[in-house]
Amino acid sequence: MNNRTTTAASARPSTLGALGSRSMRVPLTIAAVAILFLVGAVAPTRLAGDFVLRLGNEGLLLGMLALSVAFLMSQAGLVALGAASIYGGTGLLFAIALGEWNLTPMAAMCVSFLIIVVYATILGALIVRTNPLAFMMLTLAAGEMISHGVLLEALRDYTGGADGLVVRFKGSIFGMDSADFADPARFWLVAWVAAWLAGLALWAIGRSRLGAVLRAVRENEERMRFSGFDTYLPRLTAYVLVNIVAAVAGLLHVLNAGFVSPESLGLSVSINALVAALMGGIAGSVGPILGGLIFSFAQDEFGARGLTQLLTGFAIVLFIVVFPRGVVGGLWSAVQARAFGGRRETS
Amino acid sequence: MIALLIANSLALASLLIMLASGLALIYGLRDVINFGHGAIYMLGAYLGYTVALVGGFWLALIVVPILLALLGIAFEYLALRPLQNRSHIEVALVTLGLGIILGQIIIYFYGGVARSVDAPHILSGSVTVLNLSYPVYRIFLIVMGLGSCALLALWLRFTPSGLYVRAVSQDPSVARMMGINADRLSLLVTSLSAAFAGVAGVLAGPYLSIDPGMDVTMIVDCLIIVVIGGTGSIGGAIVAALLFGLVQVAGSVFLPNIASLVPYILLMVVLLVAPRGIGRGRVLN
Repeated sequence: MNNRTTTAASARPSTLGALGSRSMRVPLTIAAVAILFLVGAVAPTRLAGDFVLRLGNEGLLLGMLALSVAFLMSQAGLVALGAASIYGGTGLLFAIALGEWNLTPMAAMCVSFLIIVVYATILGALIVRTNPLAFMMLTLAAGEMISHGVLLEALRDYTGGADGLVVRFKGSIFGMDSADFADPARFWLVAWVAAWLAGLALWAIGRSRLGAVLRAVRENEERMRFSGFDTYLPRLTAYVLVNIVAAVAGLLHVLNAGFVSPESLGLSVSINALVAALMGGIAGSVGPILGGLIFSFAQDEFGARGLTQLLTGFAIVLFIVVFPRGVVGGLWSAVQARAFGGRRETS
Repeated sequence: MIALLIANSLALASLLIMLASGLALIYGLRDVINFGHGAIYMLGAYLGYTVALVGGFWLALIVVPILLALLGIAFEYLALRPLQNRSHIEVALVTLGLGIILGQIIIYFYGGVARSVDAPHILSGSVTVLNLSYPVYRIFLIVMGLGSCALLALWLRFTPSGLYVRAVSQDPSVARMMGINADRLSLLVTSLSAAFAGVAGVLAGPYLSIDPGMDVTMIVDCLIIVVIGGTGSIGGAIVAALLFGLVQVAGSVFLPNIASLVPYILLMVVLLVAPRGIGRGRVLN
């Protein structure tokens, strides 16, 4: 039921634009979004069982990861296939910082976050100057490098090798202890707020000057360079920003699960994030997060029969070839077409 | 020791050349990196396993490339042509999706266990060359790899269709203006590239193990090679494959602890020194 309310809200501005007067539009939209935020934060914890909430939590985190992939795709035209190495890598670093370096939870969080951001900056500095296709190959290679590196025999004492690491911390992070994070209903609130913050932040960045420059570079890099714009720094900034979102999602994941497995760094998680982004629609912030939720529930449906990977493969082809705008984009244009009496082109 | 090292790296490079040059060929014509190439190679290996069980290794080496060439034709007609007006990134993603589907279908039929193929009788055992004993099969692999590499070079250099392929790879729009039919060439190149992947798959059987993860491993290696070689440059890809094979083998001998990371380190170093790779690849758009 949460899915339905989210899509309705995304469609709302256009219907209001057609029906209401212009001066009423902005306050009404803000009110609608605020109501949606509050309802979404409280209602699932009251109405849904633990199992559904767990799926929802995973969906929101995957949605945040999808958001980071989608932002880079829609704004910069770059497809990253290594999102999981950031997502799982932050979690793994957090576990190591807690267990090996004996840091307090808060310090461990800051340290792991910092290391990942530095790594993302260095990697980004190397690869964002390449063309989009090479970027895709390089992110894939870098992601595989990290996920192989974690499994190295020499690092086994640190990373736990193929067994992964259990994360138990004493004390609290932002007033929550480890039992709070493991509780599906409480964690839903955390994940819901985090997903909204990430969504709003990336939405705002997309509408800022940085977003405009990124889209212009995506369309024609040479023209932008010729016009005197720096085309390198904006792309690097965007790359680091989306990886911050991925790192936050990774931290939340490990806090919730209490465990980090090497699979969470693997290619399949990166591809799941890509599929979630494509499912929801890469333009905007609602699509990827909704896509994450859809994927999480679909994975539960198909995963039991071992069809998850097949599902992802079909979803990539289907959503690129047939529904390139994803669920949210498709619904939005359908609503728009009805509001404007079908006169406006949907594409 | 050094001779053995070089021979081993040549054997590995032989497989990689066949796959990476196939990738580079399609890229040259269509500007698309085929992320499903690893799955095609895996299909070649598994089909090779089946055919070898029924009719022996040599039959597999003939039948499988033909079957995969047909798959390549289907790929061209069903995926590349209908999507040729879409952005190259989208097509690359579609190939990624198709590769995942193909991989899953293979796993569905063959299960998740590793298989192995025995080398045919003449190629099993080893010979002594210059006081060094070396497996015959690896020599055969090197001969096949370098041989197909030479055939490819001869085709590109001395035949009209090879000339056209080079022309389109260098400048697609001018080549089209001169009346070259890129669609027909693409059909040829796609089926050729799939057939090469099939040969590589069959050859990989007795050399490496056949397992469900082989597609991802191979495609990642090939992508590294294609980037190092300079995207779209076939000569660059061949040189890069040789370099990659050497680094991989030397890494596993001298740095066994981090051997699996050595290719990535190579990639990063090349990117730092020469961001466009060692060959003069065409810059995308």
